[in-house]
Amino acid sequence: MSEKKRRAGAGAAAGGSASKKPRVSSAASYAESLRSKLRPDASILATLRALASACSKSEPAGASSSSKALAEDDPAANYIVVADQDSASVTSRINRLVLAAARSILSGRGFSFAVPSRASSNQVYLPDLDRIVLVRRESARPFANVATARKATITARVLSLVHAVLRRGIHVTKRDLFYTDVKLFGDQAQSDAVLDDVSCMLGCTRSSLHVVASEKGVVVGRLTFADDGDRIDCTRMGVGGKAIPPNIDRVSGIESDALFILLVEKDAAFMRLAEDRFYNRFPCIILTAKGQPDVATRLFLRRLKVELKLPVLALVDSDPYGLKILSVYMCGSKNMSYDSANLTTPDIKWLGVRPSDLDKYRVPEQCRLPMTDHDIKVGKEMLEEDFVKQNEGWVKELEMMLRTRQKAEIQALSSFGFQYLTEVYLPLKLQQEDWI
Amino acid sequence: MDAGGDGATGATNRKAPSAAAAGSNPKGKGKGKGKGKATSNSKASATAKESSLLKQKSPAEFFAENKNIAGFDNPGKSLYTTMRELVENALDSAESISVIPDIEITLEEITKNKFNTMIGLVDRDRIDEELYDDFESIKAREKRLAKEARFQETQAKNAALGKKVKEAPAARGKGRGEAAFFRVTCKDNGRGMPHDDIPNMLGRVLSGTKYGLRQTRGKFGLGAKMALIWSKMSTGLPIEIKSSMKEQNFISFCRLDIDIHKNVPHIHLHEKRENKDHWHGAEIQVIIEGNWTTHRSKILHYMRQMAVITPYAQFLFKFLSDSVDKNLTIQFARRTDVMPPIPLQTKHHPSAVDLLLIKRLITETTKQNLLQFLQHEFVNISKSHAERLIGEMGPDFSAKMTVKSLTSQQLVRIHQLFRQAKFDDPSGNCLSPAGEYNLRLGIIKELHPDLVATHASSPQVFEGHPFIVEAGISIGGKDVKHGLNIFRYANRIPLLFEQGADVITRTALKRINWSSYKINQQQDKIGVFVSIVSTKIPFKGTGKEYIGDDITEISSAVQSALKQCCLQLKSKIVKKLQARERQDRKRNLNRYIPDVARAIMDTLGEIADETPPKRPRYDKEDEELLEKVNSQEVTEMTFRDCLTQHVEQVDYEMALEYAMQSGVSDEPREAIYLNSLEGSYKFIDFQSPLFVFRFVP
Repeated sequence: MSEKKRRAGAGAAAGGSASKKPRVSSAASYAESLRSKLRPDASILATLRALASACSKSEPAGASSSSKALAEDDPAANYIVVADQDSASVTSRINRLVLAAARSILSGRGFSFAVPSRASSNQVYLPDLDRIVLVRRESARPFANVATARKATITARVLSLVHAVLRRGIHVTKRDLFYTDVKLFGDQAQSDAVLDDVSCMLGCTRSSLHVVASEKGVVVGRLTFADDGDRIDCTRMGVGGKAIPPNIDRVSGIESDALFILLVEKDAAFMRLAEDRFYNRFPCIILTAKGQPDVATRLFLRRLKVELKLPVLALVDSDPYGLKILSVYMCGSKNMSYDSANLTTPDIKWLGVRPSDLDKYRVPEQCRLPMTDHDIKVGKEMLEEDFVKQNEGWVKELEMMLRTRQKAEIQALSSFGFQYLTEVYLPLKLQQEDWI
Repeated sequence: MDAGGDGATGATNRKAPSAAAAGSNPKGKGKGKGKGKATSNSKASATAKESSLLKQKSPAEFFAENKNIAGFDNPGKSLYTTMRELVENALDSAESISVIPDIEITLEEITKNKFNTMIGLVDRDRIDEELYDDFESIKAREKRLAKEARFQETQAKNAALGKKVKEAPAARGKGRGEAAFFRVTCKDNGRGMPHDDIPNMLGRVLSGTKYGLRQTRGKFGLGAKMALIWSKMSTGLPIEIKSSMKEQNFISFCRLDIDIHKNVPHIHLHEKRENKDHWHGAEIQVIIEGNWTTHRSKILHYMRQMAVITPYAQFLFKFLSDSVDKNLTIQFARRTDVMPPIPLQTKHHPSAVDLLLIKRLITETTKQNLLQFLQHEFVNISKSHAERLIGEMGPDFSAKMTVKSLTSQQLVRIHQLFRQAKFDDPSGNCLSPAGEYNLRLGIIKELHPDLVATHASSPQVFEGHPFIVEAGISIGGKDVKHGLNIFRYANRIPLLFEQGADVITRTALKRINWSSYKINQQQDKIGVFVSIVSTKIPFKGTGKEYIGDDITEISSAVQSALKQCCLQLKSKIVKKLQARERQDRKRNLNRYIPDVARAIMDTLGEIADETPPKRPRYDKEDEELLEKVNSQEVTEMTFRDCLTQHVEQVDYEMALEYAMQSGVSDEPREAIYLNSLEGSYKFIDFQSPLFVFRFVP
């Protein structure tokens, strides 16, 4: 269709210059015409204020539901839920494990750790809690078995390293940990996996082990907080933004006059928003994890949501992975299911780019991509996921994506001009309260 | 050549020019330009001279011009094909009288000088050097000499410096005109040929004993004759045949060549000779142009693969030449005396006949009426079935009508009905597969693999022809390269060329998930053997070198047979892996002991270091342990020792358990075949009530 149009456009261009402009970019002109639909910023701000206040009011209900999840400790017997703990109690737990192992060795019985299984069959989505949790099922990791000897050794080593870190009261990165014994660990994936095992064994979060991942997420906008005592003003962070601190304990004194939190999938869109100072036009906090969110970003988002009680709007690609990323923010990843209580932020609104937007904003054909077989497979799997099924609007959007077999990135909107995203698309979306 | 040969050579010499000229005329033009050009050339000249002249070609002429159809593309391939046709004829001949084949193949290289003296041509020195292709101009020679001088200089320098002296570069390759000739001899112990039939059996293209519906190696009566045509084209020398049948007190000796224009044999000598040691079989000797260098590996591969599929045969392969270091003698020993049965001649299946075939069957039949004809000339038509079929044909037909009186319209009706009606599938009884036993033996004998599995599928049908797929898979072995080594057989003949498009290759490469059977497709030495036998192998292409991948019946049969083999192997491989794991267990466990001891000791040390008040309350045993750590009663070495002991103990227990589970050895025993001794020996007997040892001093 578009090809025909283009050809017609080319013909017209050859014919005469009078009809050239409107016909060549009829899609673009339509997109521009949307600009005129925009009401003054003040009226949009009013809508947003209404949203923010509605969100903070409904919060008591949300708080009660989260407290319900915490109070209902019955499932904790069946599911593994870890909690933040101070270093003294973590140390004493490690001490007990090591002493038990040492005694077992000295008595000639070798040693074995009881490690909760984090296999994917063990991860279940609980609709009540609206997140993925880890079923409590422990498996022995004896040293005297070829299949587990290596893992048992690595576990012992990681325990010993974590013990040392806690005792000195410092923080190290996962990479640091890996490099202390490269020969034994082999590659970082192994030490990382065992680190998660250790978290489960000790029943504490990974940050309680004082082992953090390197910084990945960035934040910019109407937010001030203290990072390890230093006051950070996120409106003065330039275009790059402030890196989200890997250990959330460092963060304190969060203050903000924003009306909402804007979650962005990608760095490129984040940069556009930051450079255009979008947060000054519409007071907001802009956050990205540059793809799949890491633990720190998820923790940080949850913290913001809990403390500031702001609505969270998400801007992701219109493809199955965009939705996947959203699902990780909302109900957790399988890998970190044991800590899902601290990592998930329920109630995120899907602002865009949604499959229905492609036609609504007449995104030109050359900016849409055909979905690969793999995409379609992932999409169909997503359609089966409970967290998608819960939201009727999402199901419709996903079905539409699978029907048209087209996907598009946030950058597809740049075809109408690089600043179309910040000047027209987002304001219009906010004005129309077009989120689901 | 033997003594009687000299006179004959003279005779050949006289005849050769005319015959060779006639035979090689199109070829001479076609050389290097392609055959198409040659034919169009002759056509063009024909139209130019006499446009109304209608020419006819004898089958021999046709094949002489299109010899690539029969696998005589170039001298190298011709040598290969000649040898293989002779070997296959020999095998068929021995099997047809149920004698275990004993076959000797000799390739003897004949240099040009020798060849010339053989045909009585005097070697001439070159007079006009510039006439030749490999002529070296003065400039070129200066260049070459300069280069050689330089080379010698560096050589001398290197020698003086005590460096390793490089080999002189190889002498210049042979020129284009330098042809190599080979005497190919194949001797078997088969049926032999009736004295009077020999000329027609070997001197007439498309005459054969293997026509009819049956599983045979050869099919068209072409092989040996093509060798003869090739010898005529390349050397002009006749073929020599010695043959004797069982209970025959003479040996037929025949020297003949072929009149290509008339497709008739041209006999030089045909006589009976003495047969002192009651030999039976045939010995065929042909002298052809060939190329050993390029096709050496193909020929040896062929022999090896043939030995795999026919372990009951004994092959002696010799290559003789003037340079001793090139000579080669390989014996493929017999490993069994179990031979597959002779394939039975079968009748046609109604769904596989065409109009022409029905007509031929009618002219050949001895049955009088239609009912009997249907019932007896086809498989899977019973009497009642035949009656129903005749009823279906319409009112013009009746059971009692004479079959020879059928009009051509009526034949078309019968043919159409055959196409549409339902018949039971033909049974595979008429087929003679190699047999799982033989395939297995063959693989073991030639490859010496670590593991082998075989599977034979039940007969299946494609277009009215039954076929059986047998498969074998071996792992490891001698002279096997890493990855897939595919051995393809059709009617028990190895297929060596055009491997890429073949159904077997494709199936093995694309449709078998090797890793799911714990086989590493890149690293392991995998031998894949698939043998397909059928009354009609659906070859693709002109040379009978591969079976297309588009026949679902065959490709799925191949796939399932291979999967069956893989399944058998998987359990063996898993067992092997377990055994290896057992061996490695101790080593693997011991490797981690120092790491564990260090990790535990580090932490214990830190715990013990803490001042007691800061330490949370531990129970008494823990306190004691920490005391021991502080007093250095317990050290890293203590942990190491304890763990080492523990590993020892666990390993011992596991070993016991393993031995109990797996028993002594559950490998099935295989019968061994001992070659019987030839000749008479003086034995020393060692008697015992149960057995006798015979010792040959």
